[in-house]
Amino acid sequence: MSVLKKSAYAGTLESSDAYIQVSPIEEDDIKIILESSVKEIYGDAIEELVRKTIQDMNVNNVLVNVQDKGALDFVIKARLQAAILRACEMEQPEWEVL
Amino acid sequence: MKLRRSMLFVPGSNTAMVCNAFIYKPDTVMFDLEDSVALSEKDSARLMVFHALNHFVYKDVETAVRVNPLDSPYGLLDLEAVVRAGVDIVRLPKTDTVDDVLEMQAAIEKIENEIGRTKKTKLLAAIESALGVVSAVDIARCSDRLMGIALGAEDFVRDLHTQRTKQGAELMAARSQILLAARAAKIHAFDSIFSDVKDKEGFLAEVNYIKGLGFDGKSLVNPNQISTLHEAFAPSIEDVDWAIEVTEAAKEAQEQGLGVVSLDGRMVDAPIIARAQWTLELAQASGIRRD
Amino acid sequence: MKPAISFSQFDNTNTRRVKKVEHFLDSVDLELSPDIEVYVSAREDNKMIACGGLSGNVLKCIAISPEKRGEGFVLSVMTQLLNAANDRGRKELFIFSTPKNRTFFEECGFRLIEECDEKIMLMENTQNLEKYKNSLSELKKDGEVIGSIVMNANPFTLGHRYLVESAASQSDHLHIFVVREDASEFKFEDRIALIKNGLSHIENITIHEGSDYIISKATFPTYFIKDKGDVNELHAKLDLNIYRNHLAPKLGITHRFVGTEPYCTVTNNYNKNMKNILEDKNGSSNIIKVIEIQRVEYDHKAISASRVRALLKDKNYEELSNIVPDTTFEFLTKTK
Repeated sequence: MSVLKKSAYAGTLESSDAYIQVSPIEEDDIKIILESSVKEIYGDAIEELVRKTIQDMNVNNVLVNVQDKGALDFVIKARLQAAILRACEMEQPEWEVL
Repeated sequence: MKLRRSMLFVPGSNTAMVCNAFIYKPDTVMFDLEDSVALSEKDSARLMVFHALNHFVYKDVETAVRVNPLDSPYGLLDLEAVVRAGVDIVRLPKTDTVDDVLEMQAAIEKIENEIGRTKKTKLLAAIESALGVVSAVDIARCSDRLMGIALGAEDFVRDLHTQRTKQGAELMAARSQILLAARAAKIHAFDSIFSDVKDKEGFLAEVNYIKGLGFDGKSLVNPNQISTLHEAFAPSIEDVDWAIEVTEAAKEAQEQGLGVVSLDGRMVDAPIIARAQWTLELAQASGIRRD
Repeated sequence: MKPAISFSQFDNTNTRRVKKVEHFLDSVDLELSPDIEVYVSAREDNKMIACGGLSGNVLKCIAISPEKRGEGFVLSVMTQLLNAANDRGRKELFIFSTPKNRTFFEECGFRLIEECDEKIMLMENTQNLEKYKNSLSELKKDGEVIGSIVMNANPFTLGHRYLVESAASQSDHLHIFVVREDASEFKFEDRIALIKNGLSHIENITIHEGSDYIISKATFPTYFIKDKGDVNELHAKLDLNIYRNHLAPKLGITHRFVGTEPYCTVTNNYNKNMKNILEDKNGSSNIIKVIEIQRVEYDHKAISASRVRALLKDKNYEELSNIVPDTTFEFLTKTK
């Protein structure tokens, strides 16, 4: 299980992108705060994607703040993974997992 | 043979471009992890490109990635990501010597073996220095994975201690050398980017010039440049007429069991026939130029 | 192939670059705020095309050159600013800017708190104002006259005590807000302790710890910038609008009491605006009556905190003892 050593962020606020911030929390949970112009329609799907991506990386105890600017799934994944790796201070991910 | 007229440069940190590049249908999409990506974003861009390469919209498009130098903290990690994601071509950031190519090849081979990939990732060497230019022939011949060599004009002129000009006299020697080396090794030759996206006339002039020199294609920074480039590279009516005649003559000769193909009393040998076929393929892909 | 636009981040010790930012802001009719800690600037072809600053938890002086507007470029600038704030662990942010930029910042997760004269506005990226208002509601007291005072009390003097006593005697209940920012000689925790101790004899008061929403670096930055001779009137109005439209209604406040201000230009200006804004019949919320109470004097001079500080510096403890309550005097002499 990978552990977050600090808070980190990745992405931008530009159109088609997502600005994602992650920070370690005490609770044994994955907490997600989502801001998106398509929250009503896709909110659940995005949250599910975020949760699964984090679980696949074997990470827990994390608070994720997602500002979605109309990002495709793979963009959210890429930015989220970058933020998590930065927070865990890991350089090389396990590529198969991603 | 694969058309490689247009190689669209896409900064790996620019999400909108990464998502949309395929829409413009360049012959090759080149994701950049090197100069156009800030140091603090190298890791994030790498992941973005990794995922883009795996995405279905890029399955049918030829993809290339310019990785960071192997002697930087990023190069090897870039390779791990993009080779695993199945990129078609790895573009070396700066190729001065044969060793540069062989080193990159070895690193890629290692990864391919690790993951059991049978498809061989191709290489594209960017020549950006005087040393690279004078070594061009050796570089072009040193690996069967090398599919082309490209001129990186910005860094090259800096190495020469001069500046770029519209006419491009400072690039004459480099362009000739690279083209000759590419032809001798029977690989592609690519020209450098034209960065002033507002200057449409200047761009067209440069395209016609390098096409006249014999270059196969050019790197582009803006999707707007794609159609201009493709049109310029399209064969003319005369070219196409000639190509049709040659191909028909070849077909006739074959049907009649003749060993030699002739057209208008002249012998037409294999390279000419190949060129004619290439012209027809080009015409099909890009239409016919009316000028 | 390097990107055409490059971003850089630097702090206020880099005087050369700060000057360039000042120049750029001037070219788009904006003023540089002297309290900025970190700057972000964007350049294209060696020309500055955008800038922004971070001061504490407030993003301000955000400007984009006219040719670059409308391309979504402001989002890139905002990203850089958020990154700079994030790097310093500041996630709960305010934006101080012109109202015409409102939609851009809304796209970055900020919500409007208040705007003023179509010239300035304050936004935040949290729900903290709502939370604060809710916590205030719980402290509401019944009565016909609900008074209020906002004080810095740097330190608490007999003048302050007199003001509170007068106000409390005219009100059913009196709410006192203590400015929270630690930008004065005396730290907040000391100031509020002195206030509480000095007012323990009065029953109908509630002493509130100040917040980001009442005379703070977010709502009223120029109040804390000591070099500024004249306070920015717009800032004063913004602070008062927030007070009237958001905070006062939650406590049912009907009156605000102030002492007359002979010395401090900043406070004087603020008080002038107070009557105009709080008693404006065209406002969207209930009028708050402003009552000015004459400063109490000692030795024909109005008692003020600045006078206390001057006496303290001169170690004039005798005169000092006449203008501060015992509780304050003990504190001041103890720390000597």
